[in-house]
Amino acid sequence: MAHGATSNQGSPTGAGPRATSTQQADSLIEFRDIHKAFGSKQILRGVSMAIGHKEVFFIIGTSGVGKSVTIKHLIGLLRVDSGEIHFDGRRIDDLNEKNFYPVRKRIGMVFQHATLFDSMTLRENVALPLRKHMQLGHKEALAEASVLLERVHMQHSIDAYPATLSDGMRKRAAIARTLAMKPDVVLFDEPTTGLDPVSARRIDRLIREMSDDLGVTSIVVSHDLDSIFSIADRIAFLYQGQVYKCGDRADFENTDDAIVRQFIGGHSQGPMETPGF
Amino acid sequence: MNLHRKIEALGGAFIGALKSVRELARLWRGSLAGLVERDYPKGEIARQMYVVGNKSVLFISVTMGFLGMVMVMQSGQQLNRITGDLSQLGPEFLRLFIQEFAPTITALMLATRVGAGIAAEIGTMKVTEQIDALRLSGITPTSYLIAPRFFACVVMSLVLTIFAVVFSFSAGGLTAWSVFGLNPTLFFDASRVQVYDLTLGGCKALTYGMAIPVISGYCGLEARGGSEGVGTATTSAVIGSSFAVLLIDFLLSGIGFAFFGGGAR
Repeated sequence: MAHGATSNQGSPTGAGPRATSTQQADSLIEFRDIHKAFGSKQILRGVSMAIGHKEVFFIIGTSGVGKSVTIKHLIGLLRVDSGEIHFDGRRIDDLNEKNFYPVRKRIGMVFQHATLFDSMTLRENVALPLRKHMQLGHKEALAEASVLLERVHMQHSIDAYPATLSDGMRKRAAIARTLAMKPDVVLFDEPTTGLDPVSARRIDRLIREMSDDLGVTSIVVSHDLDSIFSIADRIAFLYQGQVYKCGDRADFENTDDAIVRQFIGGHSQGPMETPGF
Repeated sequence: MNLHRKIEALGGAFIGALKSVRELARLWRGSLAGLVERDYPKGEIARQMYVVGNKSVLFISVTMGFLGMVMVMQSGQQLNRITGDLSQLGPEFLRLFIQEFAPTITALMLATRVGAGIAAEIGTMKVTEQIDALRLSGITPTSYLIAPRFFACVVMSLVLTIFAVVFSFSAGGLTAWSVFGLNPTLFFDASRVQVYDLTLGGCKALTYGMAIPVISGYCGLEARGGSEGVGTATTSAVIGSSFAVLLIDFLLSGIGFAFFGGGAR
């Protein structure tokens, strides 16, 4: 298991110990004091964390806390208001759209809703980034796409259209499309949300295999505690726009912090402040 | 304090409008660049031309036919009351429709039918993160989505305007003959049509064809949230495109009048 940051714990409100993510020499990705607001609504209030090579790193927290927002900064889909993001030793938060393309070849993302293109078959969907990013020819890209779909156990549906498939199958095809770019890092935005338990565990297994067999670093935004406590190397808990706690599974299972325990236990009563409730 | 807030809001709105104009210009440039790069799916231009053109023909033909009939009836009655001479009804009707009504009414209908469709389609892709997925696949959304719609709208706006002239003029001629007993050879007289009329009408059609997909695409790309955001984007696209059509109409007509005397002879 790789560790890019030490375990830490804190309260963004200042009531408890502060979160102080440290950076280690082997970290692949570093978020340094990231702030982000949408209009007058402040979402991120100084997120700092570091993620190591080949890690399966989970970001957890209540809805609307900024988990998806955090990872979208890594591929330039959102821009930070302040702070820095470093990837493989290079600062990337200040890159323009064109200069982000090389980064996006190395960092893929599987979106919450799979986001396959309805007008294309699964094979054509997977072939698209191969043609655009990898500059493969049409036939070559389709052949490579078939291999990738086989890797995610979708070889029987390569010529099916997304609308005819289940959510779980679409998610697996989306993972194949992301793997097409042979990324160093894959971001997963709630990969098991809306899936039945069997499909969800298959997605978990795929994420773990990608790390163990292909050496891919995975950053997973999720609420799925089964996933978190079965495949995570490390976990960051976002609360009130900051990293409240970062550590491995054991740290979270054995914590006596009331807020973390409330979240993990799924209790409606407790010290956690959840706006709107 | 109240005044301070009002000034602040006014300033914010002005800056927002400037940003929108800048973004529209960027989309326009991106669409042209996308057509040069041909970075859109194979057959997409043909598909969009079918959606914009073929699927609008009936809608526009029927509407323009009725408009032609109503215009001839109204103006024929007035001419009968004032001079009793209907000999210039057809030639002036044709000039007016070529340089004004056919391109503008056609564009307003395209703004509602096609503009709403573009905004809804792109807006849905935006809120379901398909646009983000495109960007991650190394594709520029402007080149991939807006460029083929841009080309289709420009070409089909001109083609549909020609259809509109033909249908409105034909329907007007039939009305003049059946209501006022006007000889069709007097009505169907194109001798007063000048190069100026054809140029102005053509320029308007082409400019409207550029404005509608760019504004609608912009509204779609700016969609936020879920279905409500898509609905807002669609409404904004129709309002924005229609307003742009009327503004362009005024500007081009004004330029024509100022520099060429409105083609009067």
